Amino acid sequence: MSAAVYSLENQQLARSTRRRIHRRRLVGSSLAYVATGLFVLFAIFPVYWMFIATFKQNSDLYSITNNPFWFNIPATWENVSYLFEKTQFVRWCINTLEIALLVVAITLLVSIPAGYAFARLRFRGSSTLSIAIFLTYLVPPTLLFIPLSRVVSQLHLQDTIWSLVVVYPTFTIPFCTWLLMGFFKNVPKEIEESARVDGCSRLGAISRVVLPVSLPGIFSVVIFAFTLAMQDFVYALTFISPSDQKPVTLGVVSDLVRGDLYFWGSLMAGALIVAIPVSIAYNFFLDHFVQGITGGAIK
Amino acid sequence: MAELAQELRIPVAQARRPFRRHFEREGVLGYLLITPAVLYILALVAYPFLLALWFSVSDATVGKPRGDFIGLGNFQWAIQTDLFKEALRNTFLLTILGELLKALLGTILALLLAREFRGRRFARALIIIPWSIPIAIGSIAWKWMFDSTYSVVNWAGVHWHLMADPGPNWLGEVNWALASITIVNVWRGMPFTAIIVLAGLTSIPQEIIDAAKVDGANFWRRWNDVMVPIMAPVLFIAMLFSVVFTFTDMTVVWLLTRGGPGNHTQVLASLAFQLGIISTALGRGAAISLFLFPVLLAAALWFLNVLKKRELGI
Repeated sequence: MSAAVYSLENQQLARSTRRRIHRRRLVGSSLAYVATGLFVLFAIFPVYWMFIATFKQNSDLYSITNNPFWFNIPATWENVSYLFEKTQFVRWCINTLEIALLVVAITLLVSIPAGYAFARLRFRGSSTLSIAIFLTYLVPPTLLFIPLSRVVSQLHLQDTIWSLVVVYPTFTIPFCTWLLMGFFKNVPKEIEESARVDGCSRLGAISRVVLPVSLPGIFSVVIFAFTLAMQDFVYALTFISPSDQKPVTLGVVSDLVRGDLYFWGSLMAGALIVAIPVSIAYNFFLDHFVQGITGGAIK
Repeated sequence: MAELAQELRIPVAQARRPFRRHFEREGVLGYLLITPAVLYILALVAYPFLLALWFSVSDATVGKPRGDFIGLGNFQWAIQTDLFKEALRNTFLLTILGELLKALLGTILALLLAREFRGRRFARALIIIPWSIPIAIGSIAWKWMFDSTYSVVNWAGVHWHLMADPGPNWLGEVNWALASITIVNVWRGMPFTAIIVLAGLTSIPQEIIDAAKVDGANFWRRWNDVMVPIMAPVLFIAMLFSVVFTFTDMTVVWLLTRGGPGNHTQVLASLAFQLGIISTALGRGAAISLFLFPVLLAAALWFLNVLKKRELGI
C-alpha cells in the first residue's frame, strides 16, 4: 500500500517535472524562433526594399507621409521599363555574361591542370607553391588597382570589357586551383591507375577518367568563378568609363545617378534583377565553398 | 619481361621504364601543368605588386607614368597629412568594430541555426543572401535606406516613437556615417561568419557534447572548453578572410559616403583610389594602398601558422 502511494507520488512528481522541462523548452524554442526571425528580417529587408522601390510610382516613393512599406497607390512597371529602354541595362547584362563566361573559361584552363598537379604529382616545392598560389587570393584589388590600371593601359585594354576578362582570373585562379585540388585528392587513385594499366597515358587518364569523375567539383568551380567575377566593383570602377563597356554592377550604381540625382526606382530595379539570380546560384555551391575555405578541415 | 607486361596488360614501354625515370617524368609533368597558373600570377599579381612598390617611391602620375625616384617622399607626405591619419584610424576602427559585431552576431546566428527546427534550410538560404549579392548592389540599397529625406529607418523609428523627429542624418554626419558603414559591413559579413561557425558546430561529434553535458558542464563551459577549441582552426581562417575583406574594402565606403562628409569617412583603400585614380597621383595612391600590406602580411603568416599546426596535428 505505502509502496503504491510512494510510486503514485513519484509518478506525479515526474510528470510535473517533465511538464516544467517541456514548458521551458517551449519558451526557449519560441525565443529561438523569434531571434532567428529577427536575423532573417535584417538579412532580407534590403532586398524587400529593392522590390518595393522597383514597383512604386515616383509620387509614392518620394513621399515622407505615405507608409513606405507598402504600395499606397497602384504599382507600376515604369521604373523597370525605364531601366530597359532608357539605359544600357541590357548591354551591361550582356557584358557581365561575356566577362564571366570568359573568366570561367580561363580559370578552368589554368586551374584544372594546376589543381591536378598539386593534388597528384610529386615534384619539388609543390606544397610551397600551392600555398603561395592560395595566398595570392588574399591579395585584395585595392592593393593592385593602381599598378594594374597602368598594365591595362599598356596592353591597350583600358575602357573595354577585356581589361576585366584579363584581370579577374587573378583572384579566381588561386581559389579555384585550391578547390579543385581538394576534389582531385578525393578521386580514388585506383581508378586512375587501372585506366593507365589499360593503356591510357597519364593525360589520357586525366581526361577520360579523372575529369568525368570530378564533374560536380568542376561545376561548383564554374559557379564560383562566375559569381566571383560578378562580385567585383573596384576593378570595373578603375578600368572602365564608357557606359557600353560596363559590367552590370558598375552600370547600375553609376549610370542611374546624374550628379546628385539618384533614379532610385530604376536603380533598385537593376539591383533586384542582379541580386536574385546571384543569390540562387550561391545557395547551390555554398557547401563546396565552405569546404574550400576551411581547407577541408570540416568533413 | 615483355610477355609478362603483355599478360598484365601494361604497355611495354611503360613496363621497361625504370622507376626513377618515371618519377622524374612525374616531376616534369607537374611543372608543366602548373606553369600557366604560375605565369598568370607572376604577370598580373607579382609584377603589378613590384610596380606598386616602384610607384610608391616615385612621383609618377598618369601623365608621367615612368616617374622619378623620390625616396620615401610619398610615405612622409602621407603620415604628415591629417587626411591620411584619419583614413588610417577609420580603417582600423571600422575593421575592429565590424569584426567584433560580425563575430558576436554571426556566432549567435550559427547557434540558432544549429538547432533542429522546421524551415531551417530555408532560413539558412535567406540568411546568406546579403553575402551573395554583389557588394556594390547591397551598398546602394542601403544608401537608399539611409537617404537623408526618405530613409525608411527614420520613418519607422519616428513612426514607432523610437527616434526623435527627424532621426539621424545617417550619411551626413561623421559618426552616423561610420555607424552606417559598420551596419552595412555587418549585414554583409555576418552570414559568412555564421555559415562557417555553423559548419564548425555540425562537425563536432555529438558524443563529445553529450559527454560534457553528463559531466555537468553548463553552456558556457561547453562552449569555451569543448566547442571553441575543436573549431579553432576553422574560426581562425574564417576570421582571417573576414578581416582581410573588411580591412581592404572600399566599395561600401565609396558608394555610401564617397569618403564624406568632408573626407572624414575615408579609409585607406578609398583614399588610395581618390588620390591614385581620380587625382591621377599614382605615386601617392600606391604609397597609401601599400599601408594595407603589413596587415595582409600578418594575416598571411597567421594563416600559414594555422596550416602548419594542423599538419602537425596540434
